[in-house]
Amino acid sequence: MALIDKITEDVVKVPLKSTTKPEVLKELLQILVANGQVKDEASVYNALLEREGLGSTGLENGIAVPHAKTPAVDDLRIAIGIAPKGIEFQALDGGLSTLFFMILAAPDQSGLHIEALSEIAGMSRSTAFLRSLVAASTPGEVVRLIHE
Amino acid sequence: MIKGPIQRILVNIDGSEESLVACEYGILLARIINARLLGAYVVNTRALSDLRKTHIFLAAEEAEYARDIEEDANRYLEHAARTAATKGVEIETIKTSGSVHQELLRVIEEKDIDLLIIGELAHVRSRLDEFYNESERLMRSAPCSVLIVKDEDRVDDLFALEE
Repeated sequence: MALIDKITEDVVKVPLKSTTKPEVLKELLQILVANGQVKDEASVYNALLEREGLGSTGLENGIAVPHAKTPAVDDLRIAIGIAPKGIEFQALDGGLSTLFFMILAAPDQSGLHIEALSEIAGMSRSTAFLRSLVAASTPGEVVRLIHE
Repeated sequence: MIKGPIQRILVNIDGSEESLVACEYGILLARIINARLLGAYVVNTRALSDLRKTHIFLAAEEAEYARDIEEDANRYLEHAARTAATKGVEIETIKTSGSVHQELLRVIEEKDIDLLIIGELAHVRSRLDEFYNESERLMRSAPCSVLIVKDEDRVDDLFALEE
């Protein structure tokens, strides 16, 4: 199933309650746990933290793409969170991060993982599109904007 | 003897469930119409490089994922060959690297392919797909006919039934 088909209202949270990086990772992960899409929450959280420890996945224009390769999922998983006020995520440009795309993939799905991340990277090139996502007030609105 | 319109079929194998179903369909079709079957996996080094440039990947991550995709490519192509063999069909497997749609267009031209088979596309078509989705681009730019395989359950049943 393509990445876009996996973006449904139940994997989107608006707004995020978190105010720190570890909280954001946990809150996004909780979305997938609540949907039964992750088997071992603790191991995935550690994998995400470990990846962030090597270098932040906070990019430019307020977008962050925390990701991990983990056997705790059996298919590509995505969770989206929006924090209109911005969260300190050690982004590349020094700004606050407002739009979070968490991607988890099984170890034998590297090709699909890369394609998914590449699609997110593509989205991040359109600042107007990102602005409209951050302005969205409901998960339904986020899904509609992405599917449009 | 008049040749049929389909002599050489290419299946795009990318590791997704949809592409494996497309491969099964290609195997059945190749056997029925006696066409030559090819299966290609493109190691998407273009995306890897883009992810590095956009800083989503670190250098070490890029290298690790490059190794992983190479292994994926070998595994899925071997799977395709084994699956074809169960139906007595020979499949020429091709592993290549670069931009997925560009590489497949090159293979189509080089191998004189007249039918490209791809897996089911996303149910939702986003305006972004046209620019970033490889299957979407391939479907639009392929110089040959393109067959999109749908209904995984039906194809699985057909594959299981066909002796």
